Amino acid sequence: MGTDSKRGKKAGRSNPFRKLGNAFSEFGKRFTDGSVGTKLSHFIFGAGSIYHGQIIKGIIFFLIQAGILAVMILCPSINGTPYGWKALVNLSLTNVSEGGVFDPATGEMTVGSDCKLMILFGFVTIALIFIYFIVWNLNIASSYKADNDKKVGKKPTTFREDLKELLDGKFHVLMLTPTCIAATVFTVLPTVFMIALAFTTYNQEDMHKLGTNLFGWNGLQNFAAVFTGEGSLGFEIKNRFLPVLGWTFIWAIFATLTCYFGGIILALLINKKGLKGKKIFRTLFILTIAVPQFISLLAVRNLLGEYGPINSLLQSIGWIQEPIGFLGLKAGDSEILAKVMVIVVNMWVGIPYTMLMTSGILMNIPSDLYEAARVDGTSTVKMFFKITLPYVIFITTPYLISSFVGNINSFNTIYLLTGGGPTYTGYQAGGTDLLVTWLYKVTIDKGMYNTGAVIGIFTFIITATITLITYRRSKAYNEEDTFQ
Amino acid sequence: MSNTAKKKFSSQSRNRRISLAVTYTILVVMAVIWLIPLVWIFISAFRCEYQPDGTFIGRVTSNFFPRAVGFENFRLLFTEKYYGVDHAFIRWIANTLIISVIDCIISTFLVLSVAYCIAKLKFKLRKAFMNITMILGLFPGFMSMIAIYFLLKSIGLSGNPDHPELSLVGLVLAYSAGAGLGFQIAKGFFDVIPNALVESAKLDGCTNFKVFWKIILPLAKPIIIYQALMSFTGPWMDFIFAKVIIGADNAKYWTVSVGLYSMLFGTHPDTNLFTQFAAGCVIVAIPIVTLFMFLQKYYVEGVTAGAVKG
Amino acid sequence: MKKFIALLLVLIMTAAVFASCGGSGGDKNIRVWVGEESVEFYQTVCDEYIAAHPDFGYTVEVKGMDTGAVAGTISTDPKAAADIYTVAHDNIGKLASTQCAKPIGDESLIAQVLADNPESFQNVIYSTLNGQKYLYGVPYISQALFLYYNKALVTDEQAKTFEGLREAAVAAGTKAITVTGDDGFNMSFALLATKVSDHSTTVKIYEGAESVSGGSKGASNCQGDDTVAIYRWLQEYAADENGFKWASPDGWDADLDKSNKGVLAVIGGAWHYNTAKAALGETNLGIALIPTFTLTEKSVEGLSSVSAGDVYRGGTFADCKCFMINANSSKDKYAAEQELIKFMSSKEIQNRSYLACLNVPAYVGASSFIEQCYNEGKVTESQYNLAAMQVSMAEWGIPQPFITGTLNSYYYSKNAPQVLRAIVDKTAYPTTGDTILSETESLEGIRKALYLIEYLWMHGTTPKDFPASLPTPA
Repeated sequence: MGTDSKRGKKAGRSNPFRKLGNAFSEFGKRFTDGSVGTKLSHFIFGAGSIYHGQIIKGIIFFLIQAGILAVMILCPSINGTPYGWKALVNLSLTNVSEGGVFDPATGEMTVGSDCKLMILFGFVTIALIFIYFIVWNLNIASSYKADNDKKVGKKPTTFREDLKELLDGKFHVLMLTPTCIAATVFTVLPTVFMIALAFTTYNQEDMHKLGTNLFGWNGLQNFAAVFTGEGSLGFEIKNRFLPVLGWTFIWAIFATLTCYFGGIILALLINKKGLKGKKIFRTLFILTIAVPQFISLLAVRNLLGEYGPINSLLQSIGWIQEPIGFLGLKAGDSEILAKVMVIVVNMWVGIPYTMLMTSGILMNIPSDLYEAARVDGTSTVKMFFKITLPYVIFITTPYLISSFVGNINSFNTIYLLTGGGPTYTGYQAGGTDLLVTWLYKVTIDKGMYNTGAVIGIFTFIITATITLITYRRSKAYNEEDTFQ
Repeated sequence: MSNTAKKKFSSQSRNRRISLAVTYTILVVMAVIWLIPLVWIFISAFRCEYQPDGTFIGRVTSNFFPRAVGFENFRLLFTEKYYGVDHAFIRWIANTLIISVIDCIISTFLVLSVAYCIAKLKFKLRKAFMNITMILGLFPGFMSMIAIYFLLKSIGLSGNPDHPELSLVGLVLAYSAGAGLGFQIAKGFFDVIPNALVESAKLDGCTNFKVFWKIILPLAKPIIIYQALMSFTGPWMDFIFAKVIIGADNAKYWTVSVGLYSMLFGTHPDTNLFTQFAAGCVIVAIPIVTLFMFLQKYYVEGVTAGAVKG
Repeated sequence: MKKFIALLLVLIMTAAVFASCGGSGGDKNIRVWVGEESVEFYQTVCDEYIAAHPDFGYTVEVKGMDTGAVAGTISTDPKAAADIYTVAHDNIGKLASTQCAKPIGDESLIAQVLADNPESFQNVIYSTLNGQKYLYGVPYISQALFLYYNKALVTDEQAKTFEGLREAAVAAGTKAITVTGDDGFNMSFALLATKVSDHSTTVKIYEGAESVSGGSKGASNCQGDDTVAIYRWLQEYAADENGFKWASPDGWDADLDKSNKGVLAVIGGAWHYNTAKAALGETNLGIALIPTFTLTEKSVEGLSSVSAGDVYRGGTFADCKCFMINANSSKDKYAAEQELIKFMSSKEIQNRSYLACLNVPAYVGASSFIEQCYNEGKVTESQYNLAAMQVSMAEWGIPQPFITGTLNSYYYSKNAPQVLRAIVDKTAYPTTGDTILSETESLEGIRKALYLIEYLWMHGTTPKDFPASLPTPA
């Protein structure tokens, strides 16, 4: 298979170019070979469809063209920032107004340009242009197809037939469209926007210092500042990135492994032969999953508080004199203890998940494996390590990977328990902050958007690398198509 | 049975009994540890202590068990004004209920439709769609929060002073828009449904829509319930996204988790609201926990499907 | 698939365009943001005002905003903020320079502000726009710290000095005193302490506040002999097992709770009243000035310009909360907005807001009204004390500076208060950056730490190095 697949890949690599070439010759052919309608469709959307009698389709195409062109030319503004061609010009952030002209008599005041909206609307406009060309292509293709249908004596499809096709051959179009639209608007655009901010000076800490509400593009300087430590971005990231990254990894490893093995052991205990009340135990542990985390984790935080029941219990039985700062909520509290505590409390959160998940798997382990071992006189502990564990790990590798990545981005546990504390003077990132809580503090609390964007990009690179390396090798990915 | 064999048998059964006893002990201890925080919130909700001069004590206190119990916290919760809003708590519950029901319907539909297409249909951009989804999922969610706010704002569905209630629509959109990208678990479930079933239905002349509607969906009950449960409970648990989209000044349209969270964690948190917070938590937790208990089987099935398929 | 994505996206976009065009007509509503605790009160008085002035022409909608978060919310999206909002005065510079706020132009309103408010407030409510000086904020609540204490365990005499509080704490087996938080505002009591005999201090961090157009960055100074001696005294006091304690993460009211054996007193503000009352009960709730303390032999060792036996009183930031107009608010509303602010900041409404929400009035001479209320039995003794003590404490305090582009926001965001905290705890300055302050025990260590605060306050970052010899102010 080895050589075959290599050859396949090579062929695949040259494919895009050939495809592109084909596409161009296709475009030319459509214009030269097509009917009058098809030719006209290159300029007026839907002309071909109307030419072929597909009125509704034609009108839809035309409305889309008219709509997009209207937006592009008329440049409607929202919140004082225009769409359309002006938005494309604005994207450079050079054509900004300072604002601040005030007339005490009338109370009229101009405010400076809203740079973040300029960027956002610029991207929305680019998306519109993409859509324009996609629809342009679709409308020509539709007309050309009708041409060909006519040539072989078929009637062009009616609108009703097109709709019917959506329920069958093009069912995926119907089903995926809502998600694609929603994802484009609410996931792709926002993500692209935030990535773009990493290349700007959009940082409210700095902007307040300079006394301005304008910002501009900054090229790669933000990334350079990460190494030089300049500006509030560089200062924060240069000095805190490695510690936070290191702790994020330690946290993710420990959080994943403790919950994983803890869950397996708990599942083994609950599923022990002859044990009664399995269901009750399982239900009790599920409670912690069912109760919203902001409730259960805040309860834990209160229990571990300075005057909380646990500290007062320990004091009253004389084990400790002074209350212990378990969660690093005060400056000067032990960072190591706080780190240990979040991992321990996270076991409380995470073990029931693994328990639930592995219960089913444990029951499905072929019993002949155990029979054979029992005949050999293997001890229970040994059986666990030789049979149970390898089997469960084999089955749940994808879960291990996804829960590792999930833990890297685990927000609630840290945010609700320690709030990232104990804090480091001068920095946003505290001792137990993960990349993701750091990102939150920096953007939502402090408005240092470029800093947040840089941290976000780094986080993405790290999680993407891990996922790619492990996921590509995993069984689930490689066998994905065999399920088809 | 020989004498020695009998002895061996009895010692074995004694061993088993001991090991069972140990297991019980461990499980009971663990269950207690797991329940303490929840019990603490629960009993705090019923705590009803007063200063000698009649001032109500609503703070966290060091005594685990309350000195006096009553329903004062619940009474306050339903009658007090919070953030200047009349019957704030009831409003928050109502807002959350509306949002979660609509979100539940839209999200479940989107997830199932995407999962079905990816698992059972062949089309040109299928692999690309999966890869893009995976890449998008790797960006931390907070990165897009502010941009989503401004996009919603530009269509008047957030930060709209004239119609603050539209923020609820915006929030539903924001919650359910990304739902379709979380198709992996449902896809794992659909993958297991034999393709032969689909093929034979198609040979009988079923359209893809009919296959989905008449064959796949009836088989997918567990995963439908799992997805519905997840998307229904989501809004009850989120205290960050909702506050950004609805706005810090729109206390009337907050969801219950934003309201409860703000009670204790504003910049000037009122620590004396703790017992009322706890009462609110109990009211929020009861329906969610009940749902989980009833739908436990499906939840486990969903979690397991997700774990194995990744 | 593409076809439908395209179609629906375009539909959404066009809907968006229409929605935005249709929305902003002539709206006749003025939105006001006030602190969460006073929403009802201001809604009521505004409605009364509208009823009494039919020609006002606008409706008013009052909403509550978290006082601490409001400035950040406005900065992120000024267009969504209310027409009139209220912030602590130290945010004025930031909001004015980033064009989130509009100057006040109405002569009669300006005259009212200048006539009613003390000079200290008048200094901090102006900012500049294009080189022109404008009035931006209209004060309506004053804020300063004072002392709450447990009357059951501390005598009134003991509550007058830190030493007396300690004495009571020894008897009760607790610590003496705490603060409500370790943020910049609540940490001010030691840094701002002044000599009782002549109200003097060498701390000049506030100098800039006197200059409206930006102040002088060089004027900041934190590490005089007196401040060093005060912090050495505080170190001693905090090390004492019946001395100073940091507020618990459980809340300072948990410290104050008798059954927890935490502390006997807390330095807090009027907005802490209800919580303190719940922790102690109204009968046990004592209110007093921030106590005085006497420098010990040990604290002045090696320092020339201070001597043992000098008596200092703990200081406070004496701030005001102000009404401001949103720069994005339509010009049509401008006159009405100013009219409304003039009404809401009038002495009469400030007085009523004291009676309704215990907001301490900002105007000069409020104390006589407060006294009158007490004499007429309109307020309880503790409610009276709370306002009276706050007014008296203002004499011992200074407003926070707010100069554009510097200082105050950094004092908060860069955790400078934690350096103060590190000094009190005698721990190293816990940074992982370039600057690591190895100790805060020695005289030199304390001076360096204070220099660090000064630097943070001035530059917003920690210094790369300490200067070879730290300048000692006279």
